[in-house]
Amino acid sequence: MAFGLKDIKAKYRELFVVEKSPEEKNKPKDIKKMAKDFWYGKPHEERRLGDLYVGNTGLYKHREWRGVKDTMYYFNMIWLYNYAHMVTDIMKYGGGPQGVVTFAKGTMRYRWMGQTYLTVMHWFDRGLEGTRGEAMKASAWHYRGMVSETIRQFMRMFEADKKLNGGEENETWKKTIAHNETLSGNIFYGWRDQLDDVALEMIPYFVSVHVNNHTVLNYIDAAQSIGLPADPCPMCQAEYGLFVQDDYPDYSPVMLTTNEACDGSVATSVLQDWFLNRPLYAMPQPMRYDDPLVQKNCQKEIEGAWKFVEEHFGIKMDWDQYVKHAQSFNKLTEFEWEKWDVAANTPYYPINGVAQALYRIYYSQDGDRPIWHEMDAHVKRIMDKCVKNKIETFPKTRHRAIAWSCAPLYYSNWCTWAYNCWGINCVINMDSLMFDQYLRTDTYEHALEDLSWFNEKAPMRAMAVGGHEHILSLFDYMERFNCDMVIMYDQLQCKGMQGIHGVFEDEFRKRNIHAIWVPHALPDKRTVSRAEIRDIINDYMTTVMREEPLDPTLLDFDDGASW
Amino acid sequence: MSKILKFFFKLFRIAALIYGILFAVFYFDLDGKFLYYIWEPLMIKRFDNMKRPDATAMPYSMKESVEDTSI
Amino acid sequence: MKDLVHIFELEDLLQEANNPLVRQAKADGKRALGYTCYFMPEVLLDLPGCFSVRLRAPRSGSPDMATYYMTNRTCMYGRCLLERALEGGFNFLDAQMATETCTVTCRFQEHLQLMDIIKNPDFFCEFTDVPFKKNENSIDHYENQLKFHVLDKLKDKFGIDTSDEALLKAIDEHNEVCRLIQEIGSYRKLDEPTITGWEFSVIQLCTLVCPKYLIIDKLRDIAEQLKTRKPDAKKNYRVKVVLTGSEEDDPDFIKLIEECGALVVADRYCYGSLPGREEIVVKEGETPLRAIARHYLQTSECPRFMDQHIMRERKQFLANIAREYKADGIIISQMKFCEYWSYERTIDTLVIPRDFGYPVCSIEKEYVNNAVGQLRTRFQAFVESIELKNLQKEG
Repeated sequence: MAFGLKDIKAKYRELFVVEKSPEEKNKPKDIKKMAKDFWYGKPHEERRLGDLYVGNTGLYKHREWRGVKDTMYYFNMIWLYNYAHMVTDIMKYGGGPQGVVTFAKGTMRYRWMGQTYLTVMHWFDRGLEGTRGEAMKASAWHYRGMVSETIRQFMRMFEADKKLNGGEENETWKKTIAHNETLSGNIFYGWRDQLDDVALEMIPYFVSVHVNNHTVLNYIDAAQSIGLPADPCPMCQAEYGLFVQDDYPDYSPVMLTTNEACDGSVATSVLQDWFLNRPLYAMPQPMRYDDPLVQKNCQKEIEGAWKFVEEHFGIKMDWDQYVKHAQSFNKLTEFEWEKWDVAANTPYYPINGVAQALYRIYYSQDGDRPIWHEMDAHVKRIMDKCVKNKIETFPKTRHRAIAWSCAPLYYSNWCTWAYNCWGINCVINMDSLMFDQYLRTDTYEHALEDLSWFNEKAPMRAMAVGGHEHILSLFDYMERFNCDMVIMYDQLQCKGMQGIHGVFEDEFRKRNIHAIWVPHALPDKRTVSRAEIRDIINDYMTTVMREEPLDPTLLDFDDGASW
Repeated sequence: MSKILKFFFKLFRIAALIYGILFAVFYFDLDGKFLYYIWEPLMIKRFDNMKRPDATAMPYSMKESVEDTSI
Repeated sequence: MKDLVHIFELEDLLQEANNPLVRQAKADGKRALGYTCYFMPEVLLDLPGCFSVRLRAPRSGSPDMATYYMTNRTCMYGRCLLERALEGGFNFLDAQMATETCTVTCRFQEHLQLMDIIKNPDFFCEFTDVPFKKNENSIDHYENQLKFHVLDKLKDKFGIDTSDEALLKAIDEHNEVCRLIQEIGSYRKLDEPTITGWEFSVIQLCTLVCPKYLIIDKLRDIAEQLKTRKPDAKKNYRVKVVLTGSEEDDPDFIKLIEECGALVVADRYCYGSLPGREEIVVKEGETPLRAIARHYLQTSECPRFMDQHIMRERKQFLANIAREYKADGIIISQMKFCEYWSYERTIDTLVIPRDFGYPVCSIEKEYVNNAVGQLRTRFQAFVESIELKNLQKEG
């Protein structure tokens, strides 16, 4: 096939050249303005971020120029820093340079690894698009924390993995606890000095969707290929598909599972039992969790989980270890409360919607780890500076929004887009508000009591089960965070949320609240595309709010094939 | 000029060149383009063609001894 | 076979939730207590002074109002119940004894709490937490829940006698119903059953939706007649099947299967009798409430149980039923949008034929069954495939 100069030129234009609009072409050159834009970056309304995309790929013809200072910060402290730290993290968690070999083996064995995680810097790009100054910096630190913890987890899995080690049950395999991703890591604090706990689906499925949502579609299709209907929660379907495709690492002699967050999670326990075929302990939490009578049951189930670990690993739970990590985790909780306070009451909160949502759900599910403290220290410095110097981090905010229900995993960065395009600043989201529990450690009884409360308030279930008053607490939070708009996620396969849809409609009307329903199918972008989500928000903003976009190039673009 | 200074100057020039190249990779999203157009298709091919055992062939009954883990 | 005594009368009772016997019991001054799930022990709701009604929404059409509230992506059973409630069809209820045992029925019941739907000034809706395991911890928990959320509430609100004596009496009456249903159901185990699946489902459903004291005589009559009932001279079915799966309260669906040549000999589904109609045994030194809590957790085979050995035993339980009832195959039916049974059905469909040797027909259906033509084709094909297999075996 002939490939001429013309084609090369066309390809070059497609990949690298940002086409100017006719108006811009005809504008007389203003050197002073150009110099100012170069130095400080263009004002929000002139950025035309939508012009930077390469077709429907989500790639950039060139990355955004944010002004000299911010671009160099992004290049040095985000792009370079994270690429470099990824390598050092692989070695650090892989026990030295041989970690690179382990990493390479995992990359070549697992689709969710080889196809997904190398694209991680684009995850940063999508989430941080358009951010400037302190908002860019603080949000990037949250991303950095998640990347590092992801590397720690997959390196542990690979090191222990029987599949990567010729079927050998090595020492790491014997000292790793596998658990359902929705079972919080805080259950295992008592063994953190001798064993390590790694959630089974967190890295292969959950985090990977955010980074690169192409992979997960294979797993969903695999689950349906053996007869599972398409309507159950696609998150559970994807977990199922991991097993069907034999794409899960075999890194532990046991499995602990839970009923959190919904009926689908209960149902997938059978799959875990079937496919893993090893001792399994289910640690269900009560549904009517406000009821004082249910607490004892929950506490006993936690004790049951501890007994199970003790019996299977032959290591007693170390109370001092538990106390150490619970107290350490409380520091994260305290800082989270501080963040909420700033987010709720000031315009100086430096973390954007997507970083807030993902970081919070990740660290609170994962439990106490050094990296979270390190990141919080960075963010605290930035946040204190913003508050002290009254730096408005999202100066183009027109609406302060709260996002409710579970988010589209393939488009968690919708809030970055919504701010850039419409000035909708997603201040807080439902999943950030779960696990809202301090862990007392003064006595064993108090510790157990708080631990059970903590787990009862896990993602989704904190709001979605145990009575309608939990999900309807949206209106209290809306007030608390001074929001004037609701982005109501409409997860099409979530029976709990679908089952109360009309009540929300009635309440929004009654309270005269601007609410935009955003339909989605968690990890599966094929059901409702990202463009459709944007269209829905665009339609609401133009027809109901009668507003003009801040950046019209972001109104309509195709990113159907992007990560 | 001493040799040491020259060496440092050379080193600086090499470092500056690498830095410049990296900046170009960053700015023109060459990492993304490489991963999107070259790496990912290779990986897809690899994983699509990978031989996988039929996981559903795993028996699921009481044949294996399963403890009552209740308390 | 000769028509079963009372069968058409019982069939009529299934035409509406507020059936003549419910109205009669209300006229007798008894409180009507609604529930949806096996985990709400009906025996507690059948204490003197009240009676249980397991909610159904017979003759439902399109649940439009409920679809506004719950969208069309939730189980139609839950929606049809809400629709019926919104239409006023459950205004006879004095209370709804609710459980959060599956999401959509929970949401339905929350609507009863949240919106002023049931036009009865005394009405209240009370939730009970149901554990996911069968261990002692769960039984303790369940017992506490039943005491606080069921017995105490009935006592406080309606002055119901919830003493141990009253409970023992309720257990006795409940057990008699169970014994009769077991006896009636046992004729399905015969080589040539003398009761059809449709007949049995009508009888079983009536025991769930009618005040028991008003139908017990009818059950006795039926049991008596079955002692001497003879099968048809010419076998009018081609194979025998177990029907398993999610919520099923439509005898016409059983009829549809039987019209295709598959006699339904066992009913292992929500609203069925396997499990569901086992007698409650009060062990020595055990309070009646403890016995009830233990009984309902231990007998249930709901896919929401998560203990490892229980998850595995569930498969064995189904295979055992098929063996005991001499079934040739198993139909696994799942209500569309039922999360639990989506998985259970898929896994059973793969595991049961391979590990236990029973052919399986796996279907998904709606509460209001409009896809009769397609289902008929599926069932006919299933019957033929079993016959072919049997022929091959014989050959």
